[in-house]
Amino acid sequence: MRFMMLMIPAGYETAAPDALPPVEAVAAMMKYNEALKEAGVLITLDGLHPPSSGARVSFAGGKPVVTDGPFTESKEVIGGYWMIEVDSRDEAIAWAKRCPASNNEVIEIRQVQEMSDFPPDIQQAAAGLEKLQGGSKR
Amino acid sequence: MRFMVIVKASKDSEAGVMPGTELLAAMGKFNEEMVKAGIMQAGEGLHPTAKGARVKYSAGQPAVSRGPFDFNSDLVAGFWLIQAKSLDEAIDWMKRAPFGGGAEIEIRQVFSPEDFGEALTPELRERGARLQAEIDKK
Repeated sequence: MRFMMLMIPAGYETAAPDALPPVEAVAAMMKYNEALKEAGVLITLDGLHPPSSGARVSFAGGKPVVTDGPFTESKEVIGGYWMIEVDSRDEAIAWAKRCPASNNEVIEIRQVQEMSDFPPDIQQAAAGLEKLQGGSKR
Repeated sequence: MRFMVIVKASKDSEAGVMPGTELLAAMGKFNEEMVKAGIMQAGEGLHPTAKGARVKYSAGQPAVSRGPFDFNSDLVAGFWLIQAKSLDEAIDWMKRAPFGGGAEIEIRQVFSPEDFGEALTPELRERGARLQAEIDKK
């Protein structure tokens, strides 16, 4: 089963557009990332620039409306993520507990939808999706 | 530049209501266009928070809580990873996404090693590159 571990750092919703994580935190996180990799659990991971340098598109009236960040009404924003392959939610939780996270951070663990999770009619409608998910390689 | 497009949860996605065939087909077409244009790198849907968990880091032991979590507009339902020349190009692509009324997405730039400047020591950079190479091998 694939799980996404979403890092939610409190305060990141108001971080400056050029804010960077402290180097010591990056170094500690690298050790954790390497441990995930060595255990054969890590699929991929990324960090995200602050929302103040991002944008939102909402489709409320059917037409797209663009809003530039920061998003003042947000209470929680994503700072980064890991995609992992484990046998259960409990195993994902156990890995998250080992993360060298700070007191202001929360990790949300979410199971990724697989084609086999869907009934046959939806699988048929979404045929070819897995091929697309490989996408264009960086 | 790489961007993560975060698709926000709705009451339906949190309730486990699956998208209909029509929307799946339209989304499949949109994905195909993005892959053909070399934009899309990955895309996934997440199971509702009812199947998820959160780990909160405060002094001492990390505290685990299991979903579902109270609905709010900051919850995530899925994501794309895309490659675009600028935030504007990313926005232009996403304005074409076949979302009905009410949907909202957030576009965030993904960190690359260059963003950290000199703070990222050669040793850390090397370790990051090694990890990335192993991830790409998969």
